[in-house]
Amino acid sequence: MAITEKGILNRLYFVAACMFLFAVGVAVKLLDIQFVDGDHYKQLAEERTYRNFKIPSNRGNLYDSNGSLLATSIPKYDIRFDAVTVSDKDFQENIGPLSKELAAMLGNSASYYAQKLRAARANKQRYLLITRGLGYSEFLKLKQFPMFNLGTYKGGMIVEQRTVREHPLGKMGERTVGYERQDDQGYFTRVGLEGAYSSYLRGTDGRRLKQKIAKGQWKPISDNNEVEPKDGYDVISTIDVNIQDIAHHALLKQLEKYEADHGSVVVMETATGEIKAISNLGRTSKGTYYEKLNYAVGELHEPGSTFKLMAMVAALDQKVVDTGDIVATGNGRMPVRGRMVRDSKHGGYGDISVARAFEVSSNVGTVKIIYDNYKDQPQKFIDKLNSMNLNEPLGLDIKGEGIPYIPQPGDKKWSGLSLPWMAYGYGSIQMTPLQTLTFYNAVANNGEMVKPRFIKEVKEWDKTIQKFDKEVINPAICSPETLSKVQEMLKNVVERGTAKSLYSPNFSMAGKTGTAQTEYWMDDWASNRRYISSFVGYFPAENPKYTSIVVIHKPDNSVGYYGADVSGPVFKRIAQKIYTDTPIEDELDSIEVKNEIIEDDFEKYYTKIQDEKIIMPDVVGMPAMDAVSLLENLGLEVKFRGKGKVKAQSVSAGQKIKNNQQVNLHLS
Amino acid sequence: MAKSITGYDWTTILIFLLLVGFGWANIYSASLGVNTGNLLDLNQVYGRQGLWIVLSFFILIIVLSIEPKFYQRFSSVIYIISLLSLAGLFVFGKTIAGQTAWYVMGPVSLQPAEFAKAATALAVAKYVSGIQVNLKEFEHQLKVFVIISLPVLLVMMQPDAGSAMVYFAFIFPLYREGLHFAYLLLGFFAAILFVATLAFGIPWVIGGILAIGGLMFLRNRKRRPNILKYLFLMTVAIGFSLSVNYVFENVFKQHHRDRFNIVLGKEVDSRGIGYNTNQSEIAIGSGGWFGKGWTEGTQTKGHFVPEQHTDYIFSTVGEEWGFLGSSFVIFLFVLLLVRLLYLAERQRSQFSRVYGYSVIGIIFMHFLVNIGMVIGIFPTVGIPLPFFSYGGSGLWAFTILLFIFIKLDAERISYI
Repeated sequence: MAITEKGILNRLYFVAACMFLFAVGVAVKLLDIQFVDGDHYKQLAEERTYRNFKIPSNRGNLYDSNGSLLATSIPKYDIRFDAVTVSDKDFQENIGPLSKELAAMLGNSASYYAQKLRAARANKQRYLLITRGLGYSEFLKLKQFPMFNLGTYKGGMIVEQRTVREHPLGKMGERTVGYERQDDQGYFTRVGLEGAYSSYLRGTDGRRLKQKIAKGQWKPISDNNEVEPKDGYDVISTIDVNIQDIAHHALLKQLEKYEADHGSVVVMETATGEIKAISNLGRTSKGTYYEKLNYAVGELHEPGSTFKLMAMVAALDQKVVDTGDIVATGNGRMPVRGRMVRDSKHGGYGDISVARAFEVSSNVGTVKIIYDNYKDQPQKFIDKLNSMNLNEPLGLDIKGEGIPYIPQPGDKKWSGLSLPWMAYGYGSIQMTPLQTLTFYNAVANNGEMVKPRFIKEVKEWDKTIQKFDKEVINPAICSPETLSKVQEMLKNVVERGTAKSLYSPNFSMAGKTGTAQTEYWMDDWASNRRYISSFVGYFPAENPKYTSIVVIHKPDNSVGYYGADVSGPVFKRIAQKIYTDTPIEDELDSIEVKNEIIEDDFEKYYTKIQDEKIIMPDVVGMPAMDAVSLLENLGLEVKFRGKGKVKAQSVSAGQKIKNNQQVNLHLS
Repeated sequence: MAKSITGYDWTTILIFLLLVGFGWANIYSASLGVNTGNLLDLNQVYGRQGLWIVLSFFILIIVLSIEPKFYQRFSSVIYIISLLSLAGLFVFGKTIAGQTAWYVMGPVSLQPAEFAKAATALAVAKYVSGIQVNLKEFEHQLKVFVIISLPVLLVMMQPDAGSAMVYFAFIFPLYREGLHFAYLLLGFFAAILFVATLAFGIPWVIGGILAIGGLMFLRNRKRRPNILKYLFLMTVAIGFSLSVNYVFENVFKQHHRDRFNIVLGKEVDSRGIGYNTNQSEIAIGSGGWFGKGWTEGTQTKGHFVPEQHTDYIFSTVGEEWGFLGSSFVIFLFVLLLVRLLYLAERQRSQFSRVYGYSVIGIIFMHFLVNIGMVIGIFPTVGIPLPFFSYGGSGLWAFTILLFIFIKLDAERISYI
């Protein structure tokens, strides 16, 4: 080997230098990690070893106005199996009986479970799903099954509890009952009552700081860091399950009959504004219906003829017309600024009174009333509409209320056609069914406009936390004279107007039909006409208890589309059902008047019965059936021979008898 | 046995004992559970490691009682047996976590790749110390290369890239014995090109090669350099860079690419692929000057660092013993390597010296790759820290490797 001494030394130094350099590099990196970034890493380390554990609070229940549950939280159990932890002896001994029990409880065959468990053990599965969503009582039973009763470590049963929200009404009123969900980013989706009142229902979660002490083991640091969880309150809503049920099924039936796209019904208590039922059904591609969206709260559309009430109230209140004034509707066609207003009746109504024009829902009549009187001063008409709060949202608790729109002179959209078109509910007016309903309710409630309400009371167990009273939006939308006039007209709509098909001699209703064209701005409208059929009104007409609106979108034209035909029957059905289901309460003041003669008589009768009960009566000559029942009522055991009437009795009349004494009857 | 017990190099043995003892203390802490049994509980990781340590003492006594001549004479046999044991894995071995690296006999598992390093060291020492062998000749270089490559190939097939990488260690003895410096330089430039290609991309690297080549040519133009030579070298460099890129994109698996990209700072991911290193850095970083104290490390107790008792044991040292403790471990390793360097140079026989340098190289490679990985300056390559990490095979293999050299050193006077 021809290497010089110097060369070797150099090579030695080189190798040593490599090692030295690396060692220095490591030391530098260590200094960097432990000192330069040390604080950062210390903080990270703390974040990972100390953690706040959430102690979830229990969500409150949601009740209807009668105390029926609308939503509640219940625990559900997912059961899994650790197939490794069980000893061979326990496994072999118990697998048979366990499989049998599982089969009996959960369905499937015993051999299915036996095979599944054995396969899991062979594959060393430690987390085999047995079943999901078990109720509490089933869970208790399952815990006692062979093998599972040995506990987590010896028996391998793994229990995971979770809380689920149950809605006893199911699909009915699903959108109104609603839900509250939290996504991964922590954002909430809040729908319906559950969403609107989640601040009451949710409660506050507790917290406990814990330190990780070993794999999967967390130790609470101290009691001081703890925040006790506070359970949510119970919320009692205004919904009445019975009325909800009626409304839901009445609407569903009609939607199916007319194959309509969607529809909604709202029933409101007239005096208080409490929403008793709210049902929203939308059509699926298969033609079935479900609670798709809360149309009643959120969907804005041109109301059509139901808006004639608002126009009429304005005109009557400002005394530009009176009900007796005559309007010339002529042949039912009226050109306005190059466009045509048409009545639905061919040939028109001729000269009719203002009230009659309303009852038959004459478009020409209404346009004439409004346009002729307000065309030079549209602001006056609009001011009246605004003063009745029609251009403001109701401010509902439920999210997603549509913002109403009443065209205002001076708006970009305002044109010469706005006023005449608004008169009968078009001209870009936008209202939700609930907003229309609120106005009709004000008329029913003698001018007082109340806010629709979904909440009645908030309770913690039996203690009332907060009570909700009616909220008045407008104490008087118009004068009492105007009110009585329009109330009369609304009643007449049912008695002899567009809704006379709904008339019933048994109970009174008042309301207004609406058959609004929709999507008429689309190209295909001529070949495929679409309508929104509605009916809004209250009952009983004289002393209104409930106000209700029914809106059905896009019914099948070939079956029908008039408001009175499509939506009216739903309204009638609800009114009828509520009438018949509400018991008539006649209170009698003096039911307990003592009468000495009667008392005396009763006393005598009673003693006589007591006496006679121990004396054998004479039954000879009585029909067999009567005799047997008489004697058996006295406690005797009756035996008889033959047919027909009693010829002889074994115990003679007048003798004392004992209980269960035997009597033989001889029949002829 | 040696003529007297004083013949053994007690400095090395003392360092060995310190490393093994301190290693066990850290394994104890890293594997501490909630329900701790006694120290001899063989169900616990620390209990088993205790047993491996005791058995390693028996092994070292056996190693020391064998005549040095045996190791030299039978090195080829030992090497072949070792190759057979590696090949046998594909028939009898057990696959754990995707690697066919283990013989399992009841409660005992052995990893032949650990022992193959010592066997290869013996074989290399035997061949290089042959009288007619000159490492300046290409034929002999090739033969050494083959001796080293055979176990590398078998280990790669398991696949265990980490263990295969350790065989780069043999560059140390070969360099010491006369391999041209150019090989080292070549390797050095190759490494730089490799990293540069991955870090900056092909266009920049080619541009850099052309720029440097051009500049050097211009600087030397007075000496009338051969332009073809420059062009050839630049072409080779560019070709290498392109092939690195090709291998990286097509031969490497995604997780290999990810590991490189993390170290190169191209990707930041603390939850997924970079999880191990990130957790390890948190543990070490939170240690500070003096550490949190033995068995007091919150990250260690919380088992945040995966594989902490094996490949990531150094993070326990960093957390619980702080900068002082980790510096102490590094100091021990540097001391061991320097001491071994000294011992190797005082050998009279070339066999002993080459073997000594092989031991240095192997321990250094493990130290380099393992610590580099734990503190985040190297990609994640799973090889143990010598004498320190948990594992019977590793501990025994390093014990054998080291104590054969101690034996050779102790007999250096009487031995040819």
